[in-house]
Amino acid sequence: MISQVLTSALEVLINKTLALSATHTSLEKLTQKTLTVELEELYFPLSFTVCNAIKNPQVMVTTLTEHTDCTIKTSINTLRELKAEQQITALIKQNKLDLTGDIKVAQQFASVAENLDIDWQSELANHIGDIPTHKLMQLGKRVSTKVDFAANQIKADASEYVVHEKRLVVTRSQVDQFSQQVLEVSKQVDELNQRVAQLINRKANN
Amino acid sequence: MSASEQNQSPDKQGSSPDNTTHFGYKTIDKEDKVSMVAGVFHSVAKQYDVMNDLMSFGVHRLWKRFTIDASGVRPGNKVLDLAGGTGDLTAKFSKLVGKEGKVILADINSSMLNVGRDKLRDKGLVQNIEYVQANAQYLPFEDNTFDIVTIAFGLRNVTDKDMALRSIYRVLKPGGRLLVLEFSKPEYELLNKAYDFYSFNILPKMGELVAKDGDSYQYLAESIRMHPDQETLKMMMDDAGFEQTSFKNLTGGVVALHKGYKF
Repeated sequence: MISQVLTSALEVLINKTLALSATHTSLEKLTQKTLTVELEELYFPLSFTVCNAIKNPQVMVTTLTEHTDCTIKTSINTLRELKAEQQITALIKQNKLDLTGDIKVAQQFASVAENLDIDWQSELANHIGDIPTHKLMQLGKRVSTKVDFAANQIKADASEYVVHEKRLVVTRSQVDQFSQQVLEVSKQVDELNQRVAQLINRKANN
Repeated sequence: MSASEQNQSPDKQGSSPDNTTHFGYKTIDKEDKVSMVAGVFHSVAKQYDVMNDLMSFGVHRLWKRFTIDASGVRPGNKVLDLAGGTGDLTAKFSKLVGKEGKVILADINSSMLNVGRDKLRDKGLVQNIEYVQANAQYLPFEDNTFDIVTIAFGLRNVTDKDMALRSIYRVLKPGGRLLVLEFSKPEYELLNKAYDFYSFNILPKMGELVAKDGDSYQYLAESIRMHPDQETLKMMMDDAGFEQTSFKNLTGGVVALHKGYKF
């Protein structure tokens, strides 16, 4: 039931996010339309259906595939780029995304995601108050700066390793070649030892 | 008699050749069961959703979601949510079948139906839902009416389950499918023992505390043990005429989803 846990959580998250969005999201156009996303990382599909409710249109997330207007096959990484509506065609050209069905449905879903505008600070302030929110946001910014710095540092170190240090690292073939040479020297030393032993014997017999 | 002994009972279909049937562990006249079960659900209707969340730790929502995912529902479909109670499945089906589709929430119990109707209307779900008070054994619908019939946590309360399955088969369209979501027999002995302990020691106390009705929840635990196990129910569905019948155990077999088609 992992799929049900995920779809349930996604459904709550999406509908809460839509409700919080300050700008009007044009979900009405998508009423009764279904977008199915098949991610490489998941063994089940995710179908997003916009349902007509009296208060606000809502999105239902299921694993149903019997009826869908558009199916997208992609990976989680590409999904992030999909937020921009105009990216769809570029991603298809790059073979990062496989789309079947009505492309307009995918574009409209992407447009809804792109137009989401949530004032998280004000939402948080409604729950915990202005001052804690301000402090929390400052802390968040500091943590975010440090995380960004750490990420950049890791990236720079990785580049350094690739550009400079990797050149100095002994390769597998070089290690094999060296081992072979050591074996040969060892063999020659053995032969020399045998020959010295023979010479000593011969001298002793004389 | 222990719960596991009850599971070995020769008559697990809830009906006997004579005119008796089971009400939990009690053997009663068939005629009395409807009113006795009605008494239970009249009593618990208002607290039904709260108790469901408490008893299953919220997992019943995932079981129902699994049922929706297995239903293959499409826009325009006609769905019968039998013994639909407070309308959890109806709410989801209503959104998925759209304006062209229709969902009938049917329950034998008027209190449950009223609670379900109020809940769905409060959610703004009105346009494609109808409410029908109906006995699963004598469904008041024409032959070949529905694309999907579901019965979630209801079949074990039906007096004559074979008759109900035949009645469901009749109202399904050719190509339609039946989904039976019901408590069943846990697959693992350890889980079975823990489940027995929970059902007979904690559940009735919880019922007493929250719904002020321990007896009804004692009946719930007993009725689960008297319900046919996975294979038996599958055979009953086969006998009623369903084809390609199968079941899927959920939460280690505490609950099973049976599926069958009419062709």
